[in-house]
Amino acid sequence: MRRETQNILLVLLGGALLKISFSGTYLRYVKPSHQWLLITGGVIMILLAAVSIVRELRGNRDLDSDHGPDDDHGHSHSARSAWLLVLPVLAVFLIGPPPLGSDSVERAAGNRPEVPSTEGEGSTVFPALPAGDPVAVTLSEFSSRAAWDRGHSLDDRTARLMGFVVQEGDDTYVARLAIGCCAADAFPVKVKLLGRELSHLADDSWIEVDATLRPGSATRDNSYVPSVTVHTVRGIPEPEDPYEH
Amino acid sequence: MTETVEEAVEEKPRRRRITSLEILCVVLVLAIVGQGWLADLLDVKAGEDGADVVKAIQTGATIFVAVCVQALPFLVVGVLISGAIAAFVSADRLRKLLPKRAALAVPVAGVAGIALPNCECAAVPVARRLIQQEVPPAVAVTFLLAAPAVNPIVLVATAVAFPGEPRMVLARFLGSLATALVMGWIWARFGRMEWFADRALRRLPEHHDGRSRWGVFFETARQDLVDAGGFLVIGGLTAAVLNVIVPRSWTDALGEQVLLGVFVMAVLAVVLALCSEADAFVVASLSTMPLLPKLVFLVVGPAIDIKLFALQVGTLGRRFAVRFAPMTFAVATLCAVVVGIVVLPL
Repeated sequence: MRRETQNILLVLLGGALLKISFSGTYLRYVKPSHQWLLITGGVIMILLAAVSIVRELRGNRDLDSDHGPDDDHGHSHSARSAWLLVLPVLAVFLIGPPPLGSDSVERAAGNRPEVPSTEGEGSTVFPALPAGDPVAVTLSEFSSRAAWDRGHSLDDRTARLMGFVVQEGDDTYVARLAIGCCAADAFPVKVKLLGRELSHLADDSWIEVDATLRPGSATRDNSYVPSVTVHTVRGIPEPEDPYEH
Repeated sequence: MTETVEEAVEEKPRRRRITSLEILCVVLVLAIVGQGWLADLLDVKAGEDGADVVKAIQTGATIFVAVCVQALPFLVVGVLISGAIAAFVSADRLRKLLPKRAALAVPVAGVAGIALPNCECAAVPVARRLIQQEVPPAVAVTFLLAAPAVNPIVLVATAVAFPGEPRMVLARFLGSLATALVMGWIWARFGRMEWFADRALRRLPEHHDGRSRWGVFFETARQDLVDAGGFLVIGGLTAAVLNVIVPRSWTDALGEQVLLGVFVMAVLAVVLALCSEADAFVVASLSTMPLLPKLVFLVVGPAIDIKLFALQVGTLGRRFAVRFAPMTFAVATLCAVVVGIVVLPL
């Protein structure tokens, strides 16, 4: 591959990183704190390409590696593999893959609420929930407390949960994906919605649910997926950051 | 790989009319023209034919972009370090820094890995540059394995993910360091230079005036980025496909079976190709699993995974990678099990 082509690819790739960082779509792929990393990476990529283009224009070819078999520096091997750089560029600019949703939840078996400590099945007493009715909690926190909290902090409290709809068989769940670093390590958390007929809700539509935990519903046998009694359900727009962290 | 390289070189003298530049333009134009069609194809409502396949493709595409986007900034850091070593650190100076005997230099490289917070993708180009600057390959290999696994950032992430179990951090540190050192010593004893691709060994000409040093810096970094970037994309693609195909329920079915768990978690670490800062959070959430298989996952993952293998093939050569990767897998699993039995509570 010619150096000119490589440089164009680098500019496109750096541009793709900058595009998703500034448009906010980077949140579909990585956690928020990666934004400055993406911007720095993108800028350096474009800079490296720009330096090479400028040197090329000035006719400074002492390190050129793409002209003739007598080349000493041996970089012609990049000819084939470098073409692959086109794939992420096309994926970002043309497709812009959506955030992970119900498909990922259905691929996994159950919840894996973070275990607070390893002793005795991890059961422990959690700090008290903030005041307020309903109290807003993330699905990760809700399922951890439902599974492990010996202090029963969720009992008799109305919780406000936010997530997307997953229809599995006859059951309706509100679910979200939690990521540690990027979407490749996402794991699902879901809560089963009971007490109302919700089968009309479409997969992946975002909802806000006010509901009360059914104590003791998150057990080892159902992979620690808690059930709740639903009071109200409201449709909401997809949040800017689709994941929990 | 080497055959295709030679072919490519021999083809050069024949003048090609169509250059890569024109091909790229055609690809881009086709992509822009085909975008609408592609969007229609991917817009299938639930219940329609092929909805499952389309959803799987979308999930795969998101994971592919996520792996690339997450790893690229770290790869950029790696190629900058690699460029700086090529331009500003002479082979002589590196030789003076390291003990003469490879067996003694290996622990030095292991300790250097602690100090350089480096993602695994960044370590590969740096290791190649070290070999080019006449650092013994055993030392470079140790650095390659130690840098992503035992640095403070990764250890802090592990401590956060396992709040009730500080021994997990110690076990991860010891297991990863042991893997790096053992592999270094094995390489010092049995490794062969000819396993590296020629291009990985080829020296850059020494430049002495300041201006051309910067030239070397920019050109090396740029070239490393183009080379390694392509292979990172292969790794990202493989990880995305496997991520969709391999059922995560594997881990749930295991329950308390430690031996099977160790094996499955070692394979999963390779297949999922998670970054070493995040893997602790993933594994901590597997609530029913004993600690030992979790430790195996954390030690094997940063040492070898599918993305790293692709990068190693690309930068150090296929003959190196097919020997090094399985060996690393075995050594890392073994080190993790031994350290786990000694350090972790049963």
